[in-house]
This record gives sequence, C-alpha cells and structure tokens, in this order.
Amino acid sequence: MTQTAWGWLVIIYLFLGGLGAGALLTAALLEVSGWRYKRDYCPTALTGAVISGPIVGLGSLLLILDLGAGKTEPWRIVYLFTNFGSVMTWGIWILTLFIPVALFYGLLELIEVEPFIKGIVWARFPRLLRNVPLYRRRTAIASGILAVGVAVYTGVLISAVGPAVPLWSQPVLPFLPIPMMPLLFLISAISTGMALTFDLVATIAIPEIQQQMRIMDLAHIVLIGVENVLIGLLLLSALNAGGAAAESARMIMYGPLSILFWVGVVLVGLIYPFVVHAYAIGAGRHSLWSGIGSGAGILIAGLFLRYLIVFAGIPAQL
Amino acid sequence: MHKQFSRREFLRAALGSGTAAVLGSVGLSAGRFALAAPDRTESASSPYALIIDTTKCVGCGACRTACNLRNELPEDTSYIHILSYGEGTDRSFLPVQCQHCAKPPCASVCPTRATYRREDGVVMINEKLCVGCKYCEVACPYQARTFDEDRGVADKCWLCLDWVQDGRDPACVAACVLGARLFGRQDDPTSEVAQLIASGRAKPLHPEFGTHPSVLHYIL
Repeated sequence: MTQTAWGWLVIIYLFLGGLGAGALLTAALLEVSGWRYKRDYCPTALTGAVISGPIVGLGSLLLILDLGAGKTEPWRIVYLFTNFGSVMTWGIWILTLFIPVALFYGLLELIEVEPFIKGIVWARFPRLLRNVPLYRRRTAIASGILAVGVAVYTGVLISAVGPAVPLWSQPVLPFLPIPMMPLLFLISAISTGMALTFDLVATIAIPEIQQQMRIMDLAHIVLIGVENVLIGLLLLSALNAGGAAAESARMIMYGPLSILFWVGVVLVGLIYPFVVHAYAIGAGRHSLWSGIGSGAGILIAGLFLRYLIVFAGIPAQL
Repeated sequence: MHKQFSRREFLRAALGSGTAAVLGSVGLSAGRFALAAPDRTESASSPYALIIDTTKCVGCGACRTACNLRNELPEDTSYIHILSYGEGTDRSFLPVQCQHCAKPPCASVCPTRATYRREDGVVMINEKLCVGCKYCEVACPYQARTFDEDRGVADKCWLCLDWVQDGRDPACVAACVLGARLFGRQDDPTSEVAQLIASGRAKPLHPEFGTHPSVLHYIL
C-alpha cells in the first residue's frame, strides 16, 4: 500500500521549491562574498537571482492547483495563514514573503545588465538606482535567509506527520532526535540550485568556465557526497526500523521503484556528477558536455528523489 | 564597491552559512513543538465510548455498509476500513475508523483549522474552511481520513453525532448483528462501556502513536 493522497503536483512543487531556493542561495553567496563581480561568476549570480522567484512562484501555483475546495472557492486560501501550529501554515508564510523578495533581487540583478529595465526603473523609481549594489546585497541576504526556510520547511512538513508515515520521520542518526528530511531537502536544494545556475547556465554562457572553476567542482563533490551519505543513512535507518519504514526502503532499493532509484537517482544524479567533478579537479578541466551532463543529471535526480520519497511514504501498519 | 574575498575567505563564508542553514533547519524542526497550538479542550477523554470487540467481529462489513448508506458515500470510499490478519481459523478482523483522538494530528496539521476537536471529544471538520490540501489524510496514523472528490474537502467518521445526542447509537453500532460494537457513555460508571474500559479489557488502539484516542476502544 503506497501513499495515495499526494501525487505529481506536490512532487513537482517540492522539486521546484528546492531548486528555486538553492539557485537563490547560490547567487546570494556569490553576492555576499563579492565573487559575483568576477566575470566567471556573473552568469551564475544573475541566473540564480532572476530565476528563483519565478520557479518558486510556479511551484506554488501547482500547489494551489492541487487543492480541492481551495481551487473552486479561492478565498478560502486566506484561511491557510491562520494555524501557526501547522507546518503548512509556516510554509505559506515563508513562500509569501520569499517570492516578492526574490523577484526584487532578480530585478536588482537585471538592472545591471538590461538597459531596458534600467530605463523603466529610472523613470519610475529613480531613487533605487542610487546604490544598486548596496540594495542588492541586502536583498540577497534577506532572500537568502528566506530561501533556507523554503528549502527546509518542506522537509519539516513531511517529517511532522510522525508515526503516520515512518519513512518520513526517520532521524538523521539513531541517537539523534533530529529528523532526516529537512536536512536532506536542504542539501538537495542547494545541489540542484547549483546544478542549474552553474553547471547548466553558466557553462553554456561561458564555455571556458569549465576549464577554471575548481571551487565549483569541489563544492559539487562535497554536496553530492553529503547527499549520498544522507540517503544511505535514511534507507539504513528505515530498514532497521522495520514495519512500514522497512517496507518503504525495500520498495525503493529492490522493489518496483528500484530502477528509478538506482539509475535515476544514484547513477545519473550521484555517481556520474561525482566522477565528472572529481576528474575535473584531478585533470584540471572537463569538457563542456560532461559539465552540462552532470548538471542535467543532478536536476533529474532531484526530481526523482522527491518522487520516491513521496510515493514510497507507506503509512504505518495497524 | 566591496572587497572581494580570497578563496579561503569564500570557503569560510560558505561553510559558515552552510552551518547556519543546517542549524536553522534543525531549529525550524524543533520550533514545530514550540509553536504547536495549545490543547483548547479541557478534558483528554470524552463522555462517549465506542468499543469494538475484535473477538466477535467476523468482517462481514455490515458496519461499513450502514455507514456508507447513511453518509451517501461512493462505493470505493468509506469512513470505516476493515483490516484482516492471519489465515484460516486464526483469521481476525480489525475495523478502523476515526478514533476521535484527544491529541488529533489531523487537527494540528490542518492549516485552516477546519478540523477541530469539540469539548465532548468528537473530532469534526468544518467543511467551509477546508481547502482540500490533504495534509490531514497523510497525517492520520490510523488512515481514518477520506477525501470527498466532488466537494474537494476532507471527510471522516463524525460519530453520527445527531443520533448520539438524541441518545441513539451511531449507524455502525446499530448495524452490527453480532454485538461486536458497543456504544455508551464512559462518564457513567455503571455503563457497560465504562466498566470494560475501567477493567482494562477495552483499550485504545496503538497507543504508541501518541494521539490518545478518546472515544474508540478495542477488545483485542
């Protein structure tokens, strides 16, 4: 018996939410460190800032489409903001605050590169142009903090159901009462965000990047390594817990979902990118296509990982 | 213009913000307990008790049929689902429905507060507030929640409260011909249900879930 209440719309939202948050975090880190001003990092910072708001916005739209009566009587959506004991209410608040700030961050990046936009801003809000770098830096920090919230709260949301779905409430380590899902979702969000903004966009924009950016390779290896360990810990912990958790883990590792897991998540999203980036550190460079390939692989794996977690969320045995 | 970091400083900043993010995620997870809505109901128990005697249940489904008819539910949905264990002469049945918990996870996860617990312990849904997010359906460890596709709202056993307040039994209890279901007032010490609960023969199901079922009890 698999989990049947939540389907593809929720899964895609979880993916887009994490992706958008991670993309913005990548850009914000580059902004705060000043590395954004280096030519090779410009496209990454620009992409992360600009694309994040729309991606998370699109994901949120999918969430609304997944509602029942909230779709046909949309004014009910206001009620979603009221129960602070519910992680879903936290999420609504975080998203509502994040999306406008992220869009504003994107605007502050676009001002620098798009004269058309700069022109509009100059006509309507000339004060904004006085110190764009300062405003952008502050907006990056604010949206960065909110982005952590966006990336993490979905993990908290599914782990909050506790005994109802044992797979989702597994701890990070047996003796540590910290749930695994928030941490896994955060790492995955940053990983997919970097894959999009750097591996895909920046590489296509500046192909020579792949010849130089060793620190990005290092960051990828660390993230992939940590994510690998976390997924392994999750499955081991679930197997050990017995009952529905073990059933979930078996379903993922050697049941009907196993091909999706071993090929779609492990091979394409963990092993292949890891090899690409490790080789790059050793050899000093890697090809354009392997960079793009690893980026695409990480994104695909991010989506499938969330699919597996949601669908294999088997309810507790009674 | 601000100064640009060296590689070492960048790594330090990344590690620092990474740690902050991880700590933040831990804090957010823990904060859930701090922000949980206080239990507004005074009593952890309920005046009502519905006892299911699984030693008598043969899984005929009469309770389920009566419930479906009364609530005009489609064939593939029911507030009651009947689980079976064992084989042959060892076969036993476990009818499960909303336990009307004292600490209902469905109520605490509901973002609109559509699901709530009454003073008499009965957990109800205010359908006008429900947006159909299905978080309650996922969060119930007894899988007692259903979803009304036509109206797009959550749904579940409501203890036939109109009949109960009239002094009658819920439909599922009235329908059971084998006497596997008992209904009564646990606040009346002379009632059969009160005595079964007090003696320890009738107990909450899966108390380790921590939801404190207040109405439903089982003789296993």
